Amino acid sequence: MKISKEEVLYIAKLAKLKFTDEEALELTTEFEGILKHFDSLKESDYELGDTSINEELVPTELREDKVEIFEENTKLFANAKDKERGYIKIPKVIE
Amino acid sequence: MKIDQMTMEDIRSGLDTKKFTAKELVQSVYKKISEVEDQVEAYITLSEEEAYKKAEEIDTAIEQGEVLGPLAGIPIAIKDNICTEGIKTTCASKMLEDFIPPYDATVVKKLKDAGAIIIGKTNMDEFAMGSSTENSAFKVTKNPWRLDRVPGGSSGGSAAAVAAGMAFMALGSDTGGSIRQPAAFCGVVGLKPTYGLVSRYGLVAFASSLDQIGPITKSVKDCALTLDVIHGFDPKDGTTKSVKNATSYLNEIEKGIEGLRIAIPREFFPSTLDSQITNEIMESMFMLKGLGATIDEISLPITEEGLSAYYIISSAEASSNLGRFDGIKYGYRSDEYEDIEELVLNARTEGFGKETKRRIMLGTYTLTSGYYDAYYNRAQKVREKIKQQFNDIFKKYDLIISPTSPVLPFPIGEKIGNPLDMYLSDIYTISANLTGLPAISLPCGFCMEGLPIGLQIIGGPFSESKILRAAYALEQELGLGNGVAVIKEAKR
Repeated sequence: MKISKEEVLYIAKLAKLKFTDEEALELTTEFEGILKHFDSLKESDYELGDTSINEELVPTELREDKVEIFEENTKLFANAKDKERGYIKIPKVIE
Repeated sequence: MKIDQMTMEDIRSGLDTKKFTAKELVQSVYKKISEVEDQVEAYITLSEEEAYKKAEEIDTAIEQGEVLGPLAGIPIAIKDNICTEGIKTTCASKMLEDFIPPYDATVVKKLKDAGAIIIGKTNMDEFAMGSSTENSAFKVTKNPWRLDRVPGGSSGGSAAAVAAGMAFMALGSDTGGSIRQPAAFCGVVGLKPTYGLVSRYGLVAFASSLDQIGPITKSVKDCALTLDVIHGFDPKDGTTKSVKNATSYLNEIEKGIEGLRIAIPREFFPSTLDSQITNEIMESMFMLKGLGATIDEISLPITEEGLSAYYIISSAEASSNLGRFDGIKYGYRSDEYEDIEELVLNARTEGFGKETKRRIMLGTYTLTSGYYDAYYNRAQKVREKIKQQFNDIFKKYDLIISPTSPVLPFPIGEKIGNPLDMYLSDIYTISANLTGLPAISLPCGFCMEGLPIGLQIIGGPFSESKILRAAYALEQELGLGNGVAVIKEAKR
């Protein structure tokens, strides 16, 4: 599986990450090794027999979708880096 | 017996018979930490103030003759990807270096309610991605048995803390072996429960369909005691199950293994496997046979594809789960940004470490249109196939036994530059995550260099009781289960 530096940079854009040219090249080499390993998937057959899920592993019922008030607002907001008048502050989104 | 060599069991009886107080216990643990932590580096955060406060509460309760929880007074540690209210939870990442959760994870709440005392938060591979604890943004944890070796990962801090006598139990999380492999490397017991037995509420997600929280302890009994406390249905985690388990895991543990049918997959013992590992496992097999189990060699083709499927699925889920880290509501925020786009981009680029970025990239790649079918879809099919293989085996057998790791604890720095080599060392542990099955690792001996070797027992869905019974029987026969590593200066 060949992968180009451009492809790596495109994936980075999707993943919201930035890489220097040097890092992108390094990733390209690493990816080739890893993806080559993944190619073993293509060589196996996928004739599945009985795919009924194990009874015991079926998830339980979900809880009702009810809003609950989280009382600890100060604790919740304590982790935001930039705040003003009780709001989280970020750069302008709409010009 | 010195306090740092005691098991949870010993401590419970020591407190009940007033041999020592909870406060004295906590003091002795922090004293031990002051002696060896500099060399081992197992902890990211210590929570001394809270620990002493809790110890005082326990001591008062004991004095007043109150009924105590099953873990009352026991000093424990928590992996740093499990939320603890008011105590920093960093996932060993710059991204969360100052994150203080406003709530406790369900497992933490349960442990606190049972009377356990939290000593601190343990080091790990960043966001639990790694097998050596070298991917931490803060420090590299050492293996207490030999300080120039890795403790395994990603729960390396938890395993090292228990092995070095700096905690009597430590919670870990296991996505592809992250509890079992460090337990094997550090000569302690580590259990990954069945998917859904233990709540994941408050665990910072890596790969949600694979993650499971479990205990790391010195002995199998301690493991059962902890599981008794932390398991059970949680309305806050839709994947948890109520298990109709009438009695406790601890009560069942001494029932012996007469008549248990054990399978050994021959593919798990290739000629390339270190003969010391093979020999120790085989020795244990003979012991189990002597205790009344039947043992058959079977075929379980673990090919490269299981490992590939694991890395594709876990990276895909990680790329989605870690999308939440954008520097806005919490987490790292760069000093430099012009607009919102740049704020997010810089927060992620500067906040995540190398391996985390590698996995996000890998996951994003295998999920992009054009590659989705070739990778992610196929990986899901392989996962189904592996589930079937294991299902078929558990129709005939009670347990599967294998090595926990194909390698002995390796030197620090040896594999860090070669991600694929590191990934390959998870070959024996990933199946239990892909299938959701429970699996334990326990020490079964030592290699010539004095490093521990771990044996893995895998069971059918929710067969923790059986696994613990077999592990306990073997542990008693081996006479292991209370060893604390003696910290020696690293031979450089």
